[in-house]
Amino acid sequence: MLDTREKQGLRCGYPLLSVENVKLGYRVNGHTNVAVGNAGFQVWPGEKVMLLGPSGCGKSTLLKAVAGFLEPEDGVISFAGRQDLRPGPDRAVVFQEFDQLFPWRTVLENVAYPLRATGRSRDEASEKARRFVELTGLSHAVDRYPHQLSGGMKQRVAIARALALEPRMLLMDEPFGSLDAQTRARLQKELNEVTRRTEVTVLFVTHSIQEALVLGDRVVVLGHAPSEVREVLEVTGAAGDLDSKRFAWTRRQLCNLLAEDGEEVDDAVFE
Amino acid sequence: MQSLSRERTESTALPDTIGKKSGGGYWGRFPTVARYAVLVLALLGAWQLYVSLSGTQALILPGPVDVAKAFVEGWADGRLASATLKTLCIGMVIGMAVALILTAFATWTKVGEDLLSLLTSMLNPVPAIAILPLAILWFGLNPTALIFVIVYSITWPIAINVSTGFETVNPTLVMVGRNLGLGGWRMAGDVLFPAALPHTISGLRTGWAFGWRTIVAAELVFGVAGKGGGLGFFINDARYFLRIPEVFAGIVTIALIGILIEAIFNAVERRTVIRWGMMNG
Ligand SMILES: Nc1ncnc2c1ncn2[C@@H]1O[C@H](COP(=O)(O)OP(=O)(O)OP(=O)(O)O)[C@@H](O)[C@H]1O
Ligand SMILES: [Mg+2]
Repeated sequence: MLDTREKQGLRCGYPLLSVENVKLGYRVNGHTNVAVGNAGFQVWPGEKVMLLGPSGCGKSTLLKAVAGFLEPEDGVISFAGRQDLRPGPDRAVVFQEFDQLFPWRTVLENVAYPLRATGRSRDEASEKARRFVELTGLSHAVDRYPHQLSGGMKQRVAIARALALEPRMLLMDEPFGSLDAQTRARLQKELNEVTRRTEVTVLFVTHSIQEALVLGDRVVVLGHAPSEVREVLEVTGAAGDLDSKRFAWTRRQLCNLLAEDGEEVDDAVFE
Repeated sequence: MQSLSRERTESTALPDTIGKKSGGGYWGRFPTVARYAVLVLALLGAWQLYVSLSGTQALILPGPVDVAKAFVEGWADGRLASATLKTLCIGMVIGMAVALILTAFATWTKVGEDLLSLLTSMLNPVPAIAILPLAILWFGLNPTALIFVIVYSITWPIAINVSTGFETVNPTLVMVGRNLGLGGWRMAGDVLFPAALPHTISGLRTGWAFGWRTIVAAELVFGVAGKGGGLGFFINDARYFLRIPEVFAGIVTIALIGILIEAIFNAVERRTVIRWGMMNG
């Protein structure tokens, strides 16, 4: 894992993703319901950035805009220098929902199909699919259909599918949100392992401080809707070193930030 | 792994533990096919026994052997069902095409959507056989009139079901497709169509059942008018000339074809939507 100073060193040059003064909303009965008031942050190559904030503050909305499903009302999102963001496999999304797998395809086919659809040869697709299914620890279930998997297994398939695409950026929307604490902790560890090996850039939505600290290099904290970026915090020290002083300070900061917003702070889960 | 997971799927189908009848132990131990075969043979035996012993006139109730003979002869010379099946197939194909066009129109445009919902709510309650006099008026007493009625009877159930299927496709799957940058045709073929398959199959199932009942009824009407071939005509003709075993053979044929097609639908479902957990078995 890269040391913070090295990371900051990498941060010269151009960011992979840059979000500037972005306003996002939904049109409901003629008038616009603003979800994100003014968001700005940047993500450099190889970084794992966490979007943290209370429920309903527009985290998913922001992620959808980066994925290209939603146009900003105002401001600019640029990805790899481009500003016309249409959805594309260079920003592979892992959704929050368990039903994001194709029910009519087996685990292996679910991972291989996107590769075929994006132009890889049959051999390459199946070889790569196998490799990434193995990477997420599902080799024993390659021939099963999604309805024969547990919730956690489904999310792992979705992660394998996104990783296999070798996207420039991985967009994850609370992929472990509806899992029990134990499974969640295990998958977080696995994800750390996999992202370290593949060095993929990650933008990860969560409402859990614990998750943000375990997985992130930086945490972007959002306030209530119409939300603004309240703070961007560095997570220093290796993710494993949960006792380091600086780490504890970051956690306290995050707790305070969220507490000001009247959010239930999940510190108990953390301890 | 494969066999293990299959075992698990089958054991979740549960009818054996929930629907268990008390005292059915010995009978229930035989395989399903054997149990039904025994029952059918017993019924046929009882029928034959009644005919032989009671001295009923063969004119009113022929024995199963006579019926079987008439059945085989009817199939052998093609008088029994070949015309009917041909008409039905043509009707099904045209009906599916019409339904598909209506559905595509309804999926892509608002006008089409309104049109489909208006047409189905107005026309679906009208039994197809009620259209027959009109069809005869337009096309005369010929297969075209039959095909018209069949197309009418199957279009609505198929169109309703398929368009419901497209409307209710899980939006997350559509987003996954868009995330992969799938174009219109790929999106339709690889995501929307398979996602709508449970509805499509049940639409075809209902459509076929409507079409089948309609064609038999329409052919009986034709039979009364003394025109044309096919099952209904066969039955009515046999009644007119008092070839009672043939009447029975016609009815048996209707039942058997119905059972066969149902079995095909069941097999398709077991291999697709049930296997994929998109529908309960
Ligand atoms: N499709 C939609 N149409 C209208 N309003 C929407 C839509 N989706 C979300 N919103 C509104 O936008 C705001 C932000 O929603 P969003 O889903 O981005 O929140 P979130 O931060 O992801 O919350 P959570 O942590 O609960 O997932 C909410 O107030 C919500 O009501
Ligand atoms: Mg959300």
